[in-house]
Amino acid sequence: MTRLLRTSEITGRPVVTLAGEDVAQIKDVVYAPGRGRVGAFTLAGRGLFAGPLPVALAWSSVVALGNDAVMIADEEVLAPLEQGVDQPATSGRQGNVLGARVLTDTGTDLGLVADVIVQVSEDDSACEVVGYEIESSDAAGSQADTLLIPLPETLSASGEHLIVPGSVTKFVRHDLAGFGAAIEGFRSHLGGED
Amino acid sequence: MPWWGWLIVAVVVIVLIVVGIMAIQARRRRGGVLIDPKRPKGPENTP
Repeated sequence: MTRLLRTSEITGRPVVTLAGEDVAQIKDVVYAPGRGRVGAFTLAGRGLFAGPLPVALAWSSVVALGNDAVMIADEEVLAPLEQGVDQPATSGRQGNVLGARVLTDTGTDLGLVADVIVQVSEDDSACEVVGYEIESSDAAGSQADTLLIPLPETLSASGEHLIVPGSVTKFVRHDLAGFGAAIEGFRSHLGGED
Repeated sequence: MPWWGWLIVAVVVIVLIVVGIMAIQARRRRGGVLIDPKRPKGPENTP
């Protein structure tokens, strides 16, 4: 059984070793749009005076993504932050998907990304990016302030504009209940077009 | 100004500095969803 989560529910969660040591908290979720999966997390220290840490946590090193903490084997799995990963977060919105504008490939502006929806596999072996929560624009044709739109398995993303297939508007949902079915329906629809 | 006046001023300045540092660090800890800069972007990633 897979779980759907908003990335805002993951950021700020403590990172705890299996020995019980609280070593950090999740800062940024880093994903590769070409693969559509979460690859790593950047980390921040714990406590009121702590800032970002110069280390990252690869998804492959996560033992479990729990409701209250992210479990890792030990502190040794934290790797030095690779060049460039920490740049976008400290220099405005560049490289950050949150706040980016979503356009369909037919040129319709759907709105701005407010959150990203991920699907975590039952054994926590994979964390796939499956949707965006967007602050809808008038063009999206909805009365609701926020909408959930499913994503294809791979997508074009630059952090400035996010391009999605125009048929996504048929699979819009307003909450996470039933969003899993919308993702499957959207991806089967795309598969049928090929 | 009496000595206790200077004491109050010093305490206020220290409190403001501490609150300012906490606010700056809280802002730096704020998360986002970043695109891995090592991955190619553009049409080659379009389905």
